[in-house]
Amino acid sequence: MANLTTSSFFSRWVEVLINYRKHTGSWAWILHRITGLGLTIYIMMHIIALTGLLKGEGAFNAEMAMFKSPFFLFGEWLLGALVMFHALNGIRIALIDFGNGARFHKEILVFVYLIGVLMTAGMAYLIFLH
Amino acid sequence: MKTYKFFGSRSSGAKNWYMQRISGIILVLVLIGHYVLMHATPDSGHTYKAVMERLHSPFWKGIDLTFVTLGLWHGLNGTWNVFRDYTMKPWLINLIYILLILLGLTFWFIGINTILSF
Repeated sequence: MANLTTSSFFSRWVEVLINYRKHTGSWAWILHRITGLGLTIYIMMHIIALTGLLKGEGAFNAEMAMFKSPFFLFGEWLLGALVMFHALNGIRIALIDFGNGARFHKEILVFVYLIGVLMTAGMAYLIFLH
Repeated sequence: MKTYKFFGSRSSGAKNWYMQRISGIILVLVLIGHYVLMHATPDSGHTYKAVMERLHSPFWKGIDLTFVTLGLWHGLNGTWNVFRDYTMKPWLINLIYILLILLGLTFWFIGINTILSF
């Protein structure tokens, strides 16, 4: 145990991530964590961005125009993909914990991936081609 | 007063586990409305006038306050869940716990300040 507390947190985190056996559910767990951490960073950026409302109409509309540039549109799509997976897998987790989902968790995960990919593709169409 | 080696050992985490799921379910529901309002119809979401109209109604103010509060709590409680999975020296995990709470409070105040300024 003493040894465990001496190596650095992040090197162990990577070690655990690499060495764990990855079954169906492990991938869902890994992706849920990574998307969740990404979304937490995003919500803070979002809160900062919306303080632009305090600077008045001109500044806010200019800020919104900036978010329509290709760089931000791509970011929006990437964000949509993270949200899609996290929300759909979140529903899966709720079904496992509160319902009878544990019996079907692998099947539900197939739906999570399928619906997620379809909706992310749909978002690409709406954002880039529509 | 009883002293604890880890902040995280004050509780089993059962309440946080339960609230993480409840807040997650509510966030999924609000998210659908958020998508329709902000992204499916960009003008209603992103023009200053439309945003101001919403921010002057108590109903939307309530929705926004709920969204920012639950979103931040769900995100930072999830981050805390990640850190809790690893053994760390007490000073380090305690520091992380305090930093997460300070981070949450800071961004929560910035968020509600924006919402309540109008």
